[in-house]
Amino acid sequence: MDFVNWALSPWGENVLVRISWDLFWASLVGGLLFLLAHGGYMLFSPHHKRESDEVDRMEAARPGLPARIPRHSFVARMFHWVMAVSMLALVFTSFLPVVGVKFAWVQWHWIAGILLTGSIIFHIIHATFFLDFWSIWVGPKDIPEAKAEILRDFGVETGGPKPGKYPLGNRLYHLAVMVAGLGAIGSGLLMMNRVRTPIFERNPYLMGDAAYGFTYVLHGLTGVGFVGLIIAHIYFALRPEKFWITKSMIFGTITRREYLEHHDPERWVASK
Amino acid sequence: MAEHKLIGKNYTTPDLVAKVTGKARYAEDWRAEGMLFAKLLLSPRPHARVVRIDASEALAMPGVHAILTADDMPAPPPPPAPPAAPPAPAAQGGARGGEQGAAAPNAGAPAASATGNTAQGRAQGAPPSGAPAAAPPAAAPAAGAAAGAAAGAGAAPAPPPKPPVAAEVALAKEPIYEGEPILAIAADSEEIAAAAIEKIHVEYEALPFVIDPLDTLDPNGPSGRVEGNVFVGNALETLKWTADDMAQVRQGKFPSNAKASETLVFGDVEKALAEADLVIERDHQQQTTSHQPLETRTAMAYWQNGKLYLHGSTQSVARTVASVAGWVGIKPEELVLISEFTGGGFGSKIPGAHSMAIPALLSKKLNGRPVMMRISREEETYIGRTRPGYQGWIKMGFKKDGRLTAMDMFIVEAAGPYRRQGDHATTANNTSLMYQVPNMRFRGISVATNTPPGTSQRAPGGLQASVMVEPMIDEAARKLGVDKIAIRMINSPEGQAQFGLVPPNAPPGRPRNKVTSCFVKECLTKGAEMFNWEERKKRSGQRRGSKVTGVAVATGSYTAGSIGVDGLCVIKPDGKLYIHQGIGNLGTHSVIDTARVIAEQVDMPWEKCEVIWGDTSKGVAWSSVQAGSQTTYAHTRANYATGQALKRTLQELAAAEMGGSPDDYDVGNERVFRKGNPGRAIPFAKAAELAIKRGGKFDGHELPKEINAMTRASATSIAGLGLMGVARDNLPRDGQTYSFQAAFIEVEVDVETGMYRIVDYLAVADVGTVMHPHSLGGQIHGGAVQGFGHVRSQKLVYDPHYGAALANRLHHNKPPTILDIAYEQPMRWAAVELPDPTNPVGAKGIGEPAIGAGGGALICALADAVGDGILRRTPVHPEQIMMSLAEAKPKYEVLSAFI
Amino acid sequence: MPAQIRDVMPAFELYQPTSVADTMGLLQRHGADAWIMAGGMDTFDWLKDRIRKPKVVVDLSAVAELKGIKEANGGLEIGSMTTLTELSHNAVVKERYGLLAEAAGLVASPQIRNQGTVGGNVSQDARCWYYRAGWPCYRAGGNICYADTPTSVNREHAIFDADRCVAVNPSDTAPALIALDAQMVINRNGSELILPAQEFFVGPGVDITNLTMLQPTDLLTAIRIPGTWAGKQFYFEKVRDRQVWDFPLVNIASAMNASGTTISEVRMVVNAVAARPYRLEAVETFLKGKPRNAQTADAAGEIAVQGALPLRHNAYKVPLVKALVKRAIRGAGEWTS
Repeated sequence: MDFVNWALSPWGENVLVRISWDLFWASLVGGLLFLLAHGGYMLFSPHHKRESDEVDRMEAARPGLPARIPRHSFVARMFHWVMAVSMLALVFTSFLPVVGVKFAWVQWHWIAGILLTGSIIFHIIHATFFLDFWSIWVGPKDIPEAKAEILRDFGVETGGPKPGKYPLGNRLYHLAVMVAGLGAIGSGLLMMNRVRTPIFERNPYLMGDAAYGFTYVLHGLTGVGFVGLIIAHIYFALRPEKFWITKSMIFGTITRREYLEHHDPERWVASK
Repeated sequence: MAEHKLIGKNYTTPDLVAKVTGKARYAEDWRAEGMLFAKLLLSPRPHARVVRIDASEALAMPGVHAILTADDMPAPPPPPAPPAAPPAPAAQGGARGGEQGAAAPNAGAPAASATGNTAQGRAQGAPPSGAPAAAPPAAAPAAGAAAGAAAGAGAAPAPPPKPPVAAEVALAKEPIYEGEPILAIAADSEEIAAAAIEKIHVEYEALPFVIDPLDTLDPNGPSGRVEGNVFVGNALETLKWTADDMAQVRQGKFPSNAKASETLVFGDVEKALAEADLVIERDHQQQTTSHQPLETRTAMAYWQNGKLYLHGSTQSVARTVASVAGWVGIKPEELVLISEFTGGGFGSKIPGAHSMAIPALLSKKLNGRPVMMRISREEETYIGRTRPGYQGWIKMGFKKDGRLTAMDMFIVEAAGPYRRQGDHATTANNTSLMYQVPNMRFRGISVATNTPPGTSQRAPGGLQASVMVEPMIDEAARKLGVDKIAIRMINSPEGQAQFGLVPPNAPPGRPRNKVTSCFVKECLTKGAEMFNWEERKKRSGQRRGSKVTGVAVATGSYTAGSIGVDGLCVIKPDGKLYIHQGIGNLGTHSVIDTARVIAEQVDMPWEKCEVIWGDTSKGVAWSSVQAGSQTTYAHTRANYATGQALKRTLQELAAAEMGGSPDDYDVGNERVFRKGNPGRAIPFAKAAELAIKRGGKFDGHELPKEINAMTRASATSIAGLGLMGVARDNLPRDGQTYSFQAAFIEVEVDVETGMYRIVDYLAVADVGTVMHPHSLGGQIHGGAVQGFGHVRSQKLVYDPHYGAALANRLHHNKPPTILDIAYEQPMRWAAVELPDPTNPVGAKGIGEPAIGAGGGALICALADAVGDGILRRTPVHPEQIMMSLAEAKPKYEVLSAFI
Repeated sequence: MPAQIRDVMPAFELYQPTSVADTMGLLQRHGADAWIMAGGMDTFDWLKDRIRKPKVVVDLSAVAELKGIKEANGGLEIGSMTTLTELSHNAVVKERYGLLAEAAGLVASPQIRNQGTVGGNVSQDARCWYYRAGWPCYRAGGNICYADTPTSVNREHAIFDADRCVAVNPSDTAPALIALDAQMVINRNGSELILPAQEFFVGPGVDITNLTMLQPTDLLTAIRIPGTWAGKQFYFEKVRDRQVWDFPLVNIASAMNASGTTISEVRMVVNAVAARPYRLEAVETFLKGKPRNAQTADAAGEIAVQGALPLRHNAYKVPLVKALVKRAIRGAGEWTS
C-alpha cells in the first residue's frame, strides 16, 4: 500500500502529488470495521445511563425544570445540517469518481467547499459570541469524565462525573472534525487557485511545487479522515441509545428525563 | 575571362549519386569494431549549479563503460582580451591582402556569421602555428561593440575592462540553459546508456533565469548570468531600464528612449527625421529560431597511434580542425577529421560543434575504444544553436519622392547565455548598405537569456533586416504614392557603394566600407520584367470572396566573400588532376564548384578531375570557414591562383625538359605544348612522371613560403606523387564583397481565417558570375523557403515559469515544408550574371541574401494584402491577421517573446 | 531525484498479431502492461520520450481484418486500421461522405497519412505541449494544469468545457465522424460494444486522463457510417499555421440537409477547442428551418461561441469559431439568398 503519490516536477524534483487512494479504502474499511466491532459489542453491553430511581429523585429535587429542555438553538441546528449536507457533498463528489462513478465533480466539490467554509465561519462567530464557547472544548479537566464514561461503556458505574451539555464523545468528535475541517478548508482554498472559479483569479503558481504537494496531501488526508469520521458519526447518530441526541439536533430539545439521565445538571444548568 | 568550358555549366557533382541513393556516409553511418554509444544527461533547469552527481548506480550497471563530466573537460583557453583602443577601420583592414576570415563589414558593427564563429574557433583551439592566414581578422566585433557601449553609456573615463566571459564547454558545471549537457555515459547500446542516465542523481542549486529579454531589464528583474545580464563586447555587464521604461513595456510599447549598451551612428538622424516629409515608427518583434539541420550534430570518435579520429558533421573541414582540437585539448595535428557529407548546418556547425569533444574524450578514457554519440532531435534543438530573437523599435524618415533619409533603430537581441551574438548590430550595418541611409542611428542591447546558445543562422542580422525594414519601405511607398520597385531603385546601392556606422565618439574623417560590386538595381529591373510587375501589381488588394491578393517585392543582401586562403592540387602519372579541397561539403556544392576553377585554368576535362575533400588525412588545403557565403568567392580566387601556379609549373617543367623559357609554353588538351608548335608537347601524365623525377618545386618537395601550415603539411604528405600546384590567394581586393537579391511574390490571404498561401515566387540574384546554375537555383530557393518559414511558422517557445522548452519537436517547432512554398507554379530564379571585378572569375557567394529576400517578400506581400501596421511580429500566425482585421489593432502585445 | 532522458526508444516486447482474436488474447494476457499501436504516429512519441513505458507493444499493422472500407447496411464500415490516405482517396467515401475524405486528407502530411490510421487518428492522445513534455499535470495524473496559469503559453488550448485541464482533442477526422453520426465498434473482452461517435470521446470533468472511453484492453475495430447523411451538403475546414503537418488551431465539420434555401437539418462539430470534439447542438437546433443566408450565419456564429472562456493566448479561437460556423453555413459558394 502506498501512502502518497510522487511525481517529478518539470525541474526533475520529487514532489508530492496527493495521497494514495489506498488510504481512502483504508479509511472506508477501517470505519466500517469499527462500526461492526462497536455494534457487535454494544449488542451485549448497553451504555449505562442513570438508574431510573435516581432520575426520579433528581426530578423531584428540581421541580422548576420544564418538560422539554432546549439543547440546540434553531441557528445551531441549521448550521449543523448545512455543514452536514456540504460535508456529505464534499465526500461524495471527491470519492465517487475514485470508486468508478465518473462525473464532472470538481465544481460541485468546490461549491460545497465554499458552502462549508461559509457555514463554519458563521459557526465560529456564532459560537464565540452567542454560545457557551468553552462547552465544546476538551481539556485535562475532562479526564475524570473520560475515565467514568469509558468504565460506563464497559458496564461499570463508578459514580464519576456525568457529561455536561456535550458528552465527551461529542466533544472529541467535534475536535476531530474541527481539525480535519480546518485542514481541508485551508488546503482546499489554496487548491481552488488551481481550478477555475469565479472566486479567485486562477494562479496555480501561488505556491511552489513542493508546497502545493503538501497541500494536496493534507487535503487528501483530511478527506479520507472524514470518510471514517462521517461513518462513525452517522453510525452513532442512528444508534438507539444515542438517538435522543439525534432527535435533539432535529427538534432542538430533549425531555426532562433525558436531560437528567445523561447529563450532570450541575455542569449543564438547563435554561428554561 | 573568356569563354568558360566548366564555369557556369551544369554538371553532376561527384557526391550527388551517393546522396540520392543513400550511399553517402554521414557521421552516424560509420561503424567501428567495439563501438560504444554515448547518451547525454541534460539540465532540467534553465540556470543552476551542479552541487553533486551520484552515478554509482548507473556505473554499476552491466554494459555501462564510462562517464564524462565537466571535470573531465579540458579548460578552454582564455578568450582574447578586448583591445584597449578602438580598432582600425575595417575598410583598411579589408584592403590588406593578408586578411583572412569572413568579410568584416565594419569595425563598429559586429561581423557576420563567419567572423563570430571564427573568433570562437580561434579562442577554442590555436590554429596551426606559423599560419599567416590565421592572423586575427582586423575587425573585432566585440571591440567595436565595447566602444559603442562605452560611448552609449557616456562614460568619460573608461572603467577597467570586465573580465571576458568564459567560453562554452560541452559539459557544464553551471548549466545556463535548460537542456545543457551535464554529463555523458558510454555504454554497449543507446538503450543501456539511456537507462543508466535514468539512474543518475544530480543535485542542483537553483539560480535566477531570464527567458523574455525585457524581463531582465526591469530594475527588479532577474539576471541570466551571475556576472551580469547583458553582453558588452566579450564581457557581461549589468544594465537596467527605469521603472518608467518598464511601465511602457507593460503597456506594449517599446521604450525608445531607454538606455542602450551599444550605439552606432552615421550622419545626423535627428535632424534628418525633423526634415523628413514622412515619418513611420513601429515596434517590432522577431522570434528566436533554431537552425534545425536535417542531420544532427552526431559524432563518432576513436584514438589510434596517438591520433584522434573523429567522424563528425561540420560545415567547414580545414577550419574545424583547430576548434575541435581545442575542445578536446589536443594539438590540431593530432586530429584526423572525417566529414565527407553534412546534412546542413545553416551556421550552427561552422567550426563543428562543442559536443564533438564528448565522444572523443569518452573514447580517450576508454583507451581509444570507438564511441558514437548520436544526437537526437530533442538534443539538437537544445544544443544545436539559435538565431537570436528581436524586440525593438524603428523610426524612418522619407522625402516625398521616396528617398529614405533617416533611420533610427533600437534592437534588443535574445543572445542566449554564452556570448554576444550581434545580429542586431549586423542588421544595422546591413541596412545602411541596402538602403544607403545617409543618417542613421543604431542602439542595441545583447541580453543574456537562459535559452539555447545563439550563433549565426543563415544571414544573421540580414534576414531580420529585410523582415523588419522592407514592410516599412512598402508602407512609405503606399503613403507617398511611389511604386514599390521605384522606391527601391531610389534607395538601393549601386557599384562600389559605401556603408557602415561608427561609434558616436569615433574620430571624424574615417573611411567607410565599400562593396566590391553591387547590381541589386539590375536584379530589380530584370525581375520586374520576368514577373510582369506592371500587370501583376494591379492584382494587389483584389478580393475574391474572403481571399485577398498581396503582391510584393523585397531585397536581401549579405556578405559574399573573403580572401587569403590556399589551393592544392596534383597531376598524377595516371593523367588525372587531383584537387585537394579543405572546404566542407555542407550541401551547397561549393566544395566541388570551386574546384572546377583549377580544371578550367589548365584545360583539364572534368572527367579526369577528382576532388578530394572531407578527410584531413588525405591532405587538404587551408580553407575559409564555410560561413558568411564566402566560400565561392574565396576559393575561386585561391583555386585560380592555384591553377595559375599549376600551369606555371607545367610551363617550367616543359622549359626544363624541352628548352626555352616557360612563357614559350601553353597548356591545353591535357598537355603542355610549345606555343605555335603544338606537336612539341608533354602529356600531363608524362609531365607528372617527369615532375616526380625532378622533385623540388615540381612535385611538392619545395613549397611556396606564404602558404598556410596546414596546406604545407598536406602538400608535404602528398609530395612526390605527381606534378603539384599549390598557391595562396594573394590577388588584390578593395572593399567588402556582398551579394544581393530581389524577390517577387504573390500571396493569397483568407482574411476571415488568417490562413495564407504563396501563389508565385521569383528571385533574381546578383552573385557575380554564375558558377553552377543548378546549385545556385537550389541556394536561392532553399534560402527563400527558410525565409518563408521564419515569417510564417518556425519558432521556439519556452514556458516562462520554468524556463523550459515547449517547442522542441519539429511539429511544434514548425519549420517550413515543401508544401508551404509557392503552389501555382514552380518557384523561379534568375541571375543578372554581372561579374564581380575583384574576383578572377567574377564569382560571389550565394547562400545568404536569399533568405532575407524570401522572408522580406512574404511579409511585404502579407502587409500588401491586409494593410499597414498589422504585422509587427513574426511568425505571422493566422490569428494575427484575423484578429487584427476584426479588432483593428495588432494581435498580441508586440513585445512578448516566445509565444 | 533520478535524471530523465527523452528521445531514446526503450526496449519492449513487440507482438504483431494477425487476427482480432489473437490481438484480444494478447490484450487479455497483458492487461494494462500492453500498449496498442496502430500507425505509431502517436505511440512513438510516447515511447521515445520514455514517458509511457509499456512492457508490451501490440502492433496492429498485420491484422488484415481491421483494414479496408466496405459497404454495410446502407452505409460504410471502415476498418480502424484503414490508413488516412486510403480513406481520403476511396472513391465511395469521396462520393458519398466527402466530408470524411476531406478531413482525412487534411491530417498532418502525406507521409503521416500514409502511415497513420483512422482508428489511431480518433484515439490519439492530447498534444498539449506541457502534457507531452512529461510534466506531471492533471492529465498525467498530477495536480496542476501548466497550460492554464497566468504565464502559460496556451495559444493552441481549449476555449470550451475546460475542467482543470485545458488540452484539446487534435483530431481532424473525429468531428467529421460525429457530424456523420458514425458509430464506433469496440471489442471489449471479446464482445462488441457500439458507441455513437459523440459518446466515444470524453472531457476532463469526467475523465481527466483520457480523451476517449476506450479502456486499456479495448480494441477499436471499426467505424460505421450510416446512410443518413450520404451525399448531403458537407463543409470541412481546418485552420492551421502551416499548409501541412500541423494540428488544427480550429477545424469544423458540418453536414447539412437543405431543401432549396431552407436548412432542414444540420450536424456541426468543431474540434481543437475542447478536450472532446465540440458539437454545436445549439447551433444545430437554431438552424432547423432557417433560411440559408448571411443573417442566419451571423446569428449561428454568435450562438456557437456562447460559454467560451478563452485563455491568455487563445482568445482568437472565439472569432475563429464564429467565422468557421458562418463559412460552414455559407458552404463553398456564395449565398443562395
